[in-house]
Amino acid sequence: MEVIRLEEVHKTYSDNGVPVHALRGVDVRIEQGEFVVIAGPSGSGKTTLLNVMGVLDTPSSGRVYLEGEDVSQKKSKEIADIRLEKLGFVFQAFNLVPVLTAMENIEFSMMLLGIDVESRRERALSIMRELDIEMLADKRPNEMSGGQQQRVAVARAIVNNPSIVLADEPTANLDSETGANLLDIMERMNEQHNLTFIFSSHDHAVIDRARRLILLKDGVIDEDVSGVSPRSE
Amino acid sequence: MLTALAWRNLWRNKRRTWISISAVVFATWLSLLMRGIQLGTYEENMDFVLGLFTGYLQLQHPSYDDNPTLHNSIRFDAETEARLRDDDRVEAYATRVVSDGLVSYRENSLGAILLGIDPLRERGLSRLTNTISEGRMIASTDAQEVVLGSTMLENLKARVGDEIVILTQGFDGSLGNMKYTIVGTVKTGLHEFDRGAVFVGLRSLQELVFMHGRVSMVAVRTRSLHEVDAVVRELNEGFDASEIRALSWEQVMPEFKQAIDLDNYSGMLLLGILIVVVAFGILNTVLMSVTERFREFGVLLAIGMPNSKLVMLVFMETMFITLLGVLGGNVLGFAVNSWFAANPIVFTGEYVAMIEEYGWLPQMRSTVKLSSFVNTSFAVILLATFSVLYPLRRVARLEALKGIRYT
Amino acid sequence: MLLRLAWRNIQRNRRRSIIVLVSILVGVVALMFTDALSYGWIQQMLNNQIGLHDAHIQIHRKGFNDNRVVQKYIPDPERVVDALDGQSGIRAWSSRMLSFGLLSSAMSSSGGIIIGVEADQEGEITSIREAIVEGTYLSGNTREALIGRKLAEKLHVDIGDRVVGMASDLHGDIGSELFRVTGIFETVNSNFDKSHIFISMSSAQRMLEMEEKVMEYAVILDRIDDVDQVAAELRQVLGDEYEVLTYKELLPILVAQVEMYHTMMYIIYAIVGLAMIFGIINTMLMSVFERIREFGVLKAIGMKGGRIFSMVMTEACYLAIVGTAAGLLLGILITWPLSVVGINFAMFAESLASYGSGAIIYPQLSLDGMLGLAIIIPCTTMAGALYPAWKAMRLQPVSAIRHV
Repeated sequence: MEVIRLEEVHKTYSDNGVPVHALRGVDVRIEQGEFVVIAGPSGSGKTTLLNVMGVLDTPSSGRVYLEGEDVSQKKSKEIADIRLEKLGFVFQAFNLVPVLTAMENIEFSMMLLGIDVESRRERALSIMRELDIEMLADKRPNEMSGGQQQRVAVARAIVNNPSIVLADEPTANLDSETGANLLDIMERMNEQHNLTFIFSSHDHAVIDRARRLILLKDGVIDEDVSGVSPRSE
Repeated sequence: MLTALAWRNLWRNKRRTWISISAVVFATWLSLLMRGIQLGTYEENMDFVLGLFTGYLQLQHPSYDDNPTLHNSIRFDAETEARLRDDDRVEAYATRVVSDGLVSYRENSLGAILLGIDPLRERGLSRLTNTISEGRMIASTDAQEVVLGSTMLENLKARVGDEIVILTQGFDGSLGNMKYTIVGTVKTGLHEFDRGAVFVGLRSLQELVFMHGRVSMVAVRTRSLHEVDAVVRELNEGFDASEIRALSWEQVMPEFKQAIDLDNYSGMLLLGILIVVVAFGILNTVLMSVTERFREFGVLLAIGMPNSKLVMLVFMETMFITLLGVLGGNVLGFAVNSWFAANPIVFTGEYVAMIEEYGWLPQMRSTVKLSSFVNTSFAVILLATFSVLYPLRRVARLEALKGIRYT
Repeated sequence: MLLRLAWRNIQRNRRRSIIVLVSILVGVVALMFTDALSYGWIQQMLNNQIGLHDAHIQIHRKGFNDNRVVQKYIPDPERVVDALDGQSGIRAWSSRMLSFGLLSSAMSSSGGIIIGVEADQEGEITSIREAIVEGTYLSGNTREALIGRKLAEKLHVDIGDRVVGMASDLHGDIGSELFRVTGIFETVNSNFDKSHIFISMSSAQRMLEMEEKVMEYAVILDRIDDVDQVAAELRQVLGDEYEVLTYKELLPILVAQVEMYHTMMYIIYAIVGLAMIFGIINTMLMSVFERIREFGVLKAIGMKGGRIFSMVMTEACYLAIVGTAAGLLLGILITWPLSVVGINFAMFAESLASYGSGAIIYPQLSLDGMLGLAIIIPCTTMAGALYPAWKAMRLQPVSAIRHV
């Protein structure tokens, strides 16, 4: 099933008065369950592409379809709902609310959906068990390591059963071992729950694991390779 | 959970939060103190002035207010008296005749206001009898006795026991004079009385001015000041408006009422300035605490939190600070006002004369009034809410990406 | 260099600095306006009273002010007139006859203060002539009477009606005289209008059996500030038999009000300034903490704590000065035109009339008030910056740089 489709997407923004054409006509289709990495040199527009896919940014022209629906013209209230129900995000840093515990951070989006306390506690715990972070339940972000924080961020991203999880440089602040562990978890989630994962990264460790690699260059797709080599040991 | 989040966000920067709360406490407390003292002082002064002689309301001839002459007098008939007597809210009433005259003792003559009173009724209505500083009150309504204001006595160079002559113009326009014995003097604390009042027996004065059966006014005291307007209204409904009407003390002494209002409004103005200044402080603090968290907010928006909930979050944080501050201010305000209610600030020195000249008591007493607490708290909360409109607007318009990328 | 740095630092966070400036500005403008209004009101009361009747200086026989009896007339009028004519600084003077009496008309009677005057002399020193609303001013004829409107209403008389004045004369008898109302005045002081009647000097002298005698000389000076000096000089010349009283002694209540006023105002400034401090502390604290790494670096390269302290204080100082200056300027812009036009407080008309100021109040900017603001507000602002500046000074370089 198709989850994301971009048609002729252009994105131009202004950087101190200078117009930057970040995306210059991108067409792409992504199916449910894919494990995609968007890579490219800096300035290629990969973060912009990810943002457009995640409805964080609107294209200057072209269309964006999420699960078949045209989202380019949606109002902010509807967009908020889409983000809540269909998408999950993991950012490079500042993912978690500092004053909430890991459990509460994970519960947060369920709370926004109006799910009752009992059910969301249960679900949060089960997710934490899956990701092996149960022991962090009552800890605040400043009591965890970087790797642990990112794992909690992943838990929060997937707790609502979104169709797509978008991750922008999730391993950038982590050392290679921790980063590898994080990617393991995400791969596991992808396999077990058929969650679509889309990364934007220039980290080779991430790129190596891609089952589909989209290379961006100067705002257009240069290469779109699927069935990339399984990760090397 | 949003509430818990708001609460915890407050304590991320303890110092800043405490300072903000302190600012609100300060503004609230000071406002309460000032209002307490203002209102308490008004109450006391109203009691003092009105209870001394004027009464809470008066019955007069409709033209008497504009033109206080003997012609504009009323008949206090049995029917009208019955209406007063039968009203539970009326505690006391007394009839009076008022006229201008000249008081002479030996070679000294002074202009005076002659007040014909019924000493027995006055005892129940006003504090006049309690202000006798020497001698006694006149014995009856037709005794040939007078009581003078203490300053007048001095200025005449007379003493209790001396005889004076009163000269005045009667109802028919003729001049009449009469000898009276000074049996006492009053020291009321109100300049006008002490300097110019001569209290005579009601019937005696009526005879002197040929006003048989008519009086200048009937002074009435009700159980409480709050009932005055209702009583005045009801009395007027039953009166023939061309002959007699009831006036509340506010209509009888508009300068006094306005003086109170003047002070009241200027006080509120000052407090307004105070609260506005504090509101600016809150504005800046909230604005800063919000912009610091733009990245965090951006992420929350990204995961699907609607802007409205984010606005609610920041609003709750502001309300926590405000409410805590208001609470603290109220507690402090209650404590301090209670103390000053029991222990008024008494003025000494040069300013005493000045204050008494204007007819006010030379002291400030506070009062504890629920309405002050409610009104002040409400004003502070309202202004605080207004002050954060701008930061709230920024949060309402924040886009996920802009927040995340904020520097 | 430090000054330039401090100046630029303020501009780093425009919005925040502007909000602080605005809060100071609003406070200053509001205080200034309130101050000008109250001060103007009090001054008005005083000046009205002086210009209406009391004048700058009054001369009587010694003891008259304490006991205003007709027997205490001026011992030697010629001597006083010579002294006045020979005194510099005097613009005009007027002689008066004063008495308390009973006034009666056909309809009613009222107590009143009867003032016998030489019409032209009196017209020079008081504003009564300008306050006439009906009829004419005194022309010096006997039997003319000029009464206040409230008094006219009370006596139920109009132009042309008759009024009998009765007062105790020089010998202790009741002297009386018949007058005709030729003029009615209305001033801003309703209490004055209720009790005063002006008649010609000759009528008063005749009524009180005091031919050739006067009771009071009222003097208006060129400059009000000369009053103490001129009074002292007159006392020298006239000697012990006379009392020379300035308006300060005649109207001690009003004068005390003017004096007490500024003390009260300074207290209020301080209170509002205190309220500002809370906002200042938080703002400066945050501006310091944002720059914590920077301060660490500065210290690491050798800048002493004391200079960091000065820098932060200077930033607060700039904000304070700019805010206060802007506030004063705006305050002047708002208040000055109102001081010319006046504000109508009709809803307090009766009370204001009884206070003697009139219902139209002219706010008056005072140098004292503005100076007070110019000093108190910046001081409180900078007091608020002390704690944050101290914190900035005490940073340890290494921990500061590591601060995230």
